[in-house]
Amino acid sequence: MSYIVPIGPYHPALEEPIHTKLYTEGEVIKDAEVYVGYNHRGIEKLAEEKNVIQTLVLVERVCGICSHSHAFTYALAVEKINQVEVPKRGEYMRVITAELERLHSHLLWAGIACHIIGHDSLFMHIWDVREVIMDMLESLSGNRVNYGMVTIGGARRDVSDDMRREFLANLKACVPIVDRIVEICLNDKTIAMRTQGVGVMKTEDALRLGAVGPHARASNVDIDIRRDSPYSAYADFEFKVPVWPSCDVFARVVVRALECYESVGILIQALENLPEGPINTGGRKLPKIMEGACVTRHEAPRGQLSYKVVGNGSLTNHRVSIHVPSYKNTPTVPFMLRDNTISDAGLIIASIDPCFSCLDR
Amino acid sequence: MQENKMIQITKDEIVPIALKMRHEGKFLVMIQGYLQTDGQTNISYDYAVDPVIESYYVVGETDLPSIADIYDEAARWPEIELHELLNINFEGLDVSRRLFLPEDMLVTEGKGQILVMPLSELRDNRLEQMREEGIEE
Repeated sequence: MSYIVPIGPYHPALEEPIHTKLYTEGEVIKDAEVYVGYNHRGIEKLAEEKNVIQTLVLVERVCGICSHSHAFTYALAVEKINQVEVPKRGEYMRVITAELERLHSHLLWAGIACHIIGHDSLFMHIWDVREVIMDMLESLSGNRVNYGMVTIGGARRDVSDDMRREFLANLKACVPIVDRIVEICLNDKTIAMRTQGVGVMKTEDALRLGAVGPHARASNVDIDIRRDSPYSAYADFEFKVPVWPSCDVFARVVVRALECYESVGILIQALENLPEGPINTGGRKLPKIMEGACVTRHEAPRGQLSYKVVGNGSLTNHRVSIHVPSYKNTPTVPFMLRDNTISDAGLIIASIDPCFSCLDR
Repeated sequence: MQENKMIQITKDEIVPIALKMRHEGKFLVMIQGYLQTDGQTNISYDYAVDPVIESYYVVGETDLPSIADIYDEAARWPEIELHELLNINFEGLDVSRRLFLPEDMLVTEGKGQILVMPLSELRDNRLEQMREEGIEE
């Protein structure tokens, strides 16, 4: 018997609104369709009548998890158009926030994945570590969600010497706990049974569909913008780009877990070698956006985030075009769902680390 | 460091460039569009030629060839988005499915106007519509 099974836009297994139509035969999914657009807020249009400082605040509201990435990428674009040089310490502060955000995002996703798999005790252990990272972000920026760390020409808040030592101690204490979590992820029978061989996306499919970020790296595609096209202070740090060849949901768990180590490594390097000097270029005058256009990319926790900013010499943006990693990863969902069972559908959709509030903007 | 190279091309060069980039295994970052200050459309095809982003842009065209056959879903979604928000027609693109706009806007005047109309005008239209429907502001 063939049925059409709708999932979403409101469904207990999904944190965010997406509508998926599953065409099934028995329990097996034969084809699927994805519908988005349930959270469209017109942020791109709204940005047309905002000045740069207002836009920084606005774009941070695009996403609740990778909020810093949006402000960071927008600032990179405007600085390139206006040819503003950011002080070294300001760039390091931005990178520190970005990497803390990546850690928190990956741990959040790993927790949710464990919850969907049905391993609730590991979910709570993972979120316990995440809480340490959230506390660090809170003491750094004063906020838990929208950090407000970026301004045009640098960062808004500095890190004191005491805080720096405290962060280093916290990060070094995190490593053994992450070790334990990775060990459980790799060896646990429940996780292996629910994830291995599920939601396979082969390397050539990932390349053809243009998947990005950890989702592509789990399909053995070796891409990372931090390494391939360095920006801000990323050229100063040494890190590896983990890839995993098994192309299934298990690979996505492993890649994100291994990336946590690299983020901790970058953070330790950044905090230990933090250069002296100002954190921003100063000046209270509201900058105009010069005539010109620029596309910038940033490796957000979920993958490549690209911004196109067009200025026309006035205080406001002429056009801000936001394209998020989920925009590239969501079209791969129907391909991954094929020939899997309905009970795995929720896990496969969640395995791309979807952010539909980002996608719809 | 990240650089952004802008190159103006004509409509006929879009497909050969896409084929060349696809053949070399380059990622399509995005297809972006906006209205220039003089009212002409500007559609740019951004490819990641690491560490540079090469943006090939066409000006003043509303009918363009689709590259969805070459770049699959990575090009299809941006093309549908531009069709919905900027009223660009891509030859051979299936636009029967909505992407961002609500279904009822696909048949009304709302389609293709979001990036074309100024925000104040869109706002006035919406208020007028609300008044007609008897909804308080």
